[in-house]
Amino acid sequence: MCANCGFPSAPGHWTEAGAATASDRLRARFRRAQVLQSILRAYGLMVHDDGVTPGLTIATQTGISEMVADLTELWAVAERLHGRPIDPLDPRFVGLADDQHEVVQG
Amino acid sequence: MSGAADRRIRLTILGGFLGAGKTTWLRHHLHHGLLRDALVIVNEAAEIPVDKALLAHASRLSVLAGGCACCNGRAALVHLLREICAARVGSDAPPAPLDHIVLETSGLADPGPIVETIRTDPMLVHHIKVTEIVVAVDALHGLDQLRREPLNRPQIETADRLVVTKLDRASRSGLGRLLATLRVLNPGAALVGAIMGSPADLPDAAGELPEALPDASGSAGNPIRAVQLELPLSVDWTAFTVWLSALLHARGDDVIRVKGVMRTPAGRLLLQSVRQIVQQPEILPEPHGDDAPHDNLVAIIGRGFEAAMLQRSLRVFVGLAPR
Repeated sequence: MCANCGFPSAPGHWTEAGAATASDRLRARFRRAQVLQSILRAYGLMVHDDGVTPGLTIATQTGISEMVADLTELWAVAERLHGRPIDPLDPRFVGLADDQHEVVQG
Repeated sequence: MSGAADRRIRLTILGGFLGAGKTTWLRHHLHHGLLRDALVIVNEAAEIPVDKALLAHASRLSVLAGGCACCNGRAALVHLLREICAARVGSDAPPAPLDHIVLETSGLADPGPIVETIRTDPMLVHHIKVTEIVVAVDALHGLDQLRREPLNRPQIETADRLVVTKLDRASRSGLGRLLATLRVLNPGAALVGAIMGSPADLPDAAGELPEALPDASGSAGNPIRAVQLELPLSVDWTAFTVWLSALLHARGDDVIRVKGVMRTPAGRLLLQSVRQIVQQPEILPEPHGDDAPHDNLVAIIGRGFEAAMLQRSLRVFVGLAPR
């Protein structure tokens, strides 16, 4: 395989490529948890990232929780726990539904 | 054109479906000097000419963005080719005249109408000769694309050379079936393999059965469209990728291709996906000269959505007030 003709690739999961320093990575983890929490709360799911343990935790209100390594795993587990995919093209995100702000702000 | 030596410009058309690996193949060939002195024309269906940043090894490069060269961008292609031909024979023609053009089509282009356009244009026919149509086929997604996308079939059928890309990603059984299917669709084409643009051996597909493809005339009533998503400054990489990763998980069959460059604390990141497979982001150098960067613009190509819908979804998803 030729590895010379491209530019260098950012390491790690693709969603984590935007941070290069330890402080940026920590800030990105907390930002990710914040965005996820605001979305998933409306689906009865919670996300926690302690900033130390690799990956993050997704949990239901009934106490089921799972560790996931990255966002690819997270959306798969969220689908399983919720029963269907969390779809950004759901009417609550793209439509004019009155409840869309509740989704974001809880 | 008989008699004197044919001095027309050779044109290689590089085609293939969205995300098939056209640019990767071209980058490799440029990097290794295999297309030295060729003028590279990149045609993008989307407005954002992302590929320009990737083809820095091309000695001469033109970008046709915002229209497919086989249909709504055809006039722009003819105009560009005529300019090239006129410059070649003009009084200020360069001492080493251009003799090879590589046209990388958009992933939505059918090479056939492009060839027809050149052959029937009263000026171009005397200056340009289509010498080869190279079509990239994704080893991982190729069979699925042939089943779902009627557009993919004429791309393969018109090829002189089929380059099956990403050989390292496909299962042996799926690859064997794809190769057998390609042989049926275009038995005359040379069939070669590639990994990251480098030649790679294809497995022996003898005995493999081809896929029974649906009728290609049943063209999609739900056409593929390319939309451009402008990311608000308040949407950082992390928030954007939360949204995009959810979108790809939920709609991976509809979101066929994503391409764009985003500014992040880690540098300018090139984001590319084919269905649910996201390429490891490359860190691009800062643009220089008169290359205006197209940062924080992302092209999303697929079906079942519109630009306004995606913009709204992104804003609401990441906690911004909808507009």
